[in-house]
Formats: sequence, structure tokens, C-alpha cells
Amino acid sequence: MIAAEALYKSYRRDGVPIPVLTGASLTVGPGEFVAIMGASGSGKTTLLNLLGFLDLPDAGTYRFEGRDLSAAGDDALAAVRNRRIGFVFQQFHLLDRISAVENVMLPLLYAEEDVTDGAGRAVRALDAVGLAHRRSHRATELSGGEQQRVAIARALVNDPALILADEPTGNLDEQSGAEVLDIFGRLRDGGKSIVLVTHDRAVARRADRILRLERGAIVPGSAE
Amino acid sequence: MSRGWRIVRHAVGSVAENRGRTALMALGLATGVAVLSTVMIVAEGERRQIMELVNKHGLDLVMVRAGGDVQVFAPRADRGIESLFEEDARSIASELPNVSLVSPVQNQRGMTAVFEDRAVTTRVFGVAPPWLEIRRWSLADGEFLAGEDIQGMSRVAVLGAQVARQLFPEGGAVGATIRLGGDPYRVKGVFMEMGASAGGDDWDDRIVVPFSTSARRLFGRPHLEQIVLRVSDVRRIRETADQVRELLRVRHQIGPGEPDDFFVREPEDVEGAALETASTLRSLLLAVSAVALVAGGLVIMNLMLLAVSQRVREIGVRRATGARASDIRLQFLSESVVVALLGGVAGSATGLVVAFSLERSGLAAGHVTWAPFLVALLTSGIIGLAAGVHPARRAAAIHPARAVAQGSL
Repeated sequence: MIAAEALYKSYRRDGVPIPVLTGASLTVGPGEFVAIMGASGSGKTTLLNLLGFLDLPDAGTYRFEGRDLSAAGDDALAAVRNRRIGFVFQQFHLLDRISAVENVMLPLLYAEEDVTDGAGRAVRALDAVGLAHRRSHRATELSGGEQQRVAIARALVNDPALILADEPTGNLDEQSGAEVLDIFGRLRDGGKSIVLVTHDRAVARRADRILRLERGAIVPGSAE
Repeated sequence: MSRGWRIVRHAVGSVAENRGRTALMALGLATGVAVLSTVMIVAEGERRQIMELVNKHGLDLVMVRAGGDVQVFAPRADRGIESLFEEDARSIASELPNVSLVSPVQNQRGMTAVFEDRAVTTRVFGVAPPWLEIRRWSLADGEFLAGEDIQGMSRVAVLGAQVARQLFPEGGAVGATIRLGGDPYRVKGVFMEMGASAGGDDWDDRIVVPFSTSARRLFGRPHLEQIVLRVSDVRRIRETADQVRELLRVRHQIGPGEPDDFFVREPEDVEGAALETASTLRSLLLAVSAVALVAGGLVIMNLMLLAVSQRVREIGVRRATGARASDIRLQFLSESVVVALLGGVAGSATGLVVAFSLERSGLAAGHVTWAPFLVALLTSGIIGLAAGVHPARRAAAIHPARAVAQGSL
């Protein structure tokens, strides 16, 4: 599914380059659930952004579904994000003023092709996370766990191959976190690849494989 | 539905969801549009009033009489000064751009017209064809003088209603031949009943012949009693009258300090002065509305820029779910245009209410046409587009990873 080799990424602060990734390499197969663990500032979110084409590496190669998209333009990368990748963020990132089902429909807005039965697809995605009955509620009217499940439904509505989750349980209580992880388990069982970054070992243990990220690189032999 | 339309529709929804922000953004532009549409409605009302006044009172008519400025009230014996000639009329027509029509006028009282055994003593005028339009007279029967009548010094005549009644009590004047100054004249037409002038002249008691005929055959003299002219732009009538005065002073070689040997009479237009004042006020209000529109555009732009900085997280979510940079640009540009159009609609409605209120209170006349609304909407759309370009570009330029990260802070 994905194969990243020696990814480098640095950011500039006051003109000085700050290295964040210093040669991170990893592979994730189809239907595999991989957790990446690391301390704050180890580069977990940056790695996830590169894997999801929200950013591009300074050096290294990254092949997604066998394709190297390093030379692709903004439109092509947006299309990959739209059709093949679903994001789940720690703070849910729902739009407050619209309903749950409208939030879930957001990726359909940017679909290349004509979308038929968008609302139906969104409701089915909500149903998959057990929230079809809350479809008309606004984000502000939902609990944290429900908001994260709506965010997962949004990530699923275009039936992507890869789910990228950045500390998805970081803002949830234990029970809600467990529900979210159960959903990820079911998605893995359904054949989706999942990369989840976390600093929480208990969360990481739910994955098939755990990789450790330290000082910008995956620690060799860290897989558990 | 295409992707572009979906995004535009979504932008409309986004504007509708943020009512408070939308109202605030649209307020400035709505004010400008309200002033603009009020001014346009009132201006159209005024224009119609002007045209009514012009038509009713001949406010676009300038008369030049031979003799000095006391001519009008002078004893008849003092009249007949030989100061105006056909060349003066031609010169006015060719040199003054705001003059649309000119006619020389000769007249002589006490002329006898005869048909068979009936005779009337009347006043005969020699004029050119534009005279009919300048004076806004019309014919009850037949036709008026034509260019060939002037060129050919034709013996043709158009009769005032009363003269026609006296000479032809049974009707049938047109085509008949009367005798005027002993010569035969074919009757070409008969004027409508016109009544009397404010000065007591009976307008129906007259005969009109070609100017060339009166000058060379009937009166046998080249000088004119009057030149009458009509102006194109009635608002510049005073300026045109001054130009006529200057032109004639030069042509008549009148030195500085010497009195005119003619008298230029423009309409005694209290209305004209009022209209000029209104026109100045209108220009001022148009300037105010232009300033308000620009300010409204700036308000939209600044609040859109503020919205962009407040909606970075949203931009990040959209980018993460597949929005291209161009989709983000389209979204913000659409929102700006929609807000501006809403401002335009609200402003037009307010303008309509204000214009009607002004009319009801007697402060101004209004006339509603589609034009103010089309102009308001078009202007609003353009302002919305212009105001949205910079914020939309800024929103589209936000890096997706940084946008998502900002939302996590």
C-alpha cells in the first residue's frame, strides 16, 4: 500500500532549518493496521502529513499504491487525498455550523465525478460508526466520542484505501477511545490500511504492528 | 451537478449559515447601493419632470430679438432695428454644438390675406422649417414648409386656425390659393388651435410663409425680427445663451462696454435653477454613493481577510478531504460575491423605500425603472468579485499541513 524510504523534512524558523524527519522509512501493506509511537516533537504528525500528501518531503521516496507522486501537482494530490485517503484528527476538525451528515458529505463536495445519492452515502457511513440517528445534529451538539466517530465517517465516505489517524483518542475518555479503536479494528478487518500515530502505548497495542519514531527516524528493529 | 457548481452552492450555504457575519459584511455595500439606487430613482423622476416642464413651457427655447435689452417693452416705433440677419442664424447653427435647431423669423403686422370675397388682416411670419419643431406647434391639416419651399422662395402659406376659419368657413383651405400682398399663395397647411400667448398675442391669428419668400418677395427686406433656437441639453441652456450673445457681439463688431444690438431671451426658468441645484445635489450624492460603495467593498475585503484567518482550520479540513487550492479560492470568491449581492439587494430595497418616502413627503420625485436595480446588482457583483480576489488568493495559498496543524493548536 505505502512504501516510504528515507524521508527527510525540515522546517525553517527565523531562517534556520529545523530538521523534523531525518530519514524515516516504513512500509504498510494492504489491510494492515500500523501504529507509530513517539514522543512529542519526534515528527509523528509531519510523517503522517507526508504519507497523506498534505505536505511533500525534502528528500526520500514515497510510493503510494505503487506510484511515486513526488512530481504531481496540487490538483492531482488533492484528488488522491479525496479518493484514496481518509484523515482522522485528534481534535476531530468538524465544521461547527453544519450537521453531522453535512460534515460527512464534505469529501463528496470535492469529488471529480458527479455524486449521486451523496446524502445516502453519508448516512451509510454514519451508520457504520453507529451514529445514523445523530445525522441532523450539529458538531457542537455531539459528545467528543460522537464527534470523532462522525470524523471517521467523513474519512470513510469515499471508501478510501488508507486511513491516517493522528492521536485519534487523544481527546477522548477511555470508553469513547475504546469505541473508536474498535471501529479501526473493524475497518482493518474490512481490508483498509490504517496508520495511527500515538504516544499512548495502550492505544498502539491495538495495531498489528508498532513502529517507534525517534529524532525523526523510525528506529530500526522497533517493530513489535 | 459539476464540482464548481457544488462548491458555489456550498459557499451560498456557508454565507447563509453565518448570518451575523454576512450582515456585517454586507452593511457597507448596502448603504452605498441604497444611496445609489435612491439617487437613480430620484434622478429618473427628475428627468421626467424636466422633460415635462421642457415640453410644457418650451424651456429648451432661446429667442434672439433684434434691438437692445429693453426691446420687449419698448414702443413699437423703436422696434425694427436692422441688426439680425439670416447669416447670424446660420452662424449660430454651425458654431454652437448645443444648438440643435435654428430658424430665422421675420414678421409683419397688418398684412391682408384674401380668398375670393373674404379678406382678413393678420400678422405674417417668415420662418424656416425647423420653426415648427422649435415652437412645438402642430398642424391640424396639410403639411408645414419644407426645405424646397425655402430654396425655391415658394409662394406657399400655412394658416393659423382663426385665419383659416375666417377665409374658409366651410373648410377646405389646404390646396386653395389665397392672395397675400397681392400675390397668389397656395395654402400648404393649417395649424392646430393654439390659443393666445402669455403676452396676449393670438397665436391663431397669423400666416406663416417661407423665410426666403418673406425676405425677398413679401416684405422685401433682409433683416429679421427674431432668431429662435432649440438646445440639445437643456441643463446648459444658460451657457448656450451666453455663447449666442458672445457670437453675435463678435459678428456685430460690438466693442467692450458697448450695449448689445440684440436681446437674448432664455426661458425664465425658476424651474431651471431648481433643476440645476438638484443636479448639483445629485452629483454630490452620486459621489457619496461611490465612496460608500468603495468603502463597502473594502469592508467586505477586510472582513473576508479576517474570516480567512479565523477559518484556517476549516481550510485545512477541506484540503485534507480533497479540496484543491482552486476550490478554496472559488469558495471564498463565491462567498464574497454572494455577500455583495445580498448587500446589493438589501441596498436596492432600502433605496426604493427611501425614494418613495422622499416622494410621499414631497421632497423629491421618484420614478422606478429596472435600471437602478440592474446597476446596483451589477455593481455589487463586481465589487464583491474585486473585494474577494485578495482574501480568496490568501485562503488558497495556506499550506494544507499548516492549516491542519493550526487547528490542532
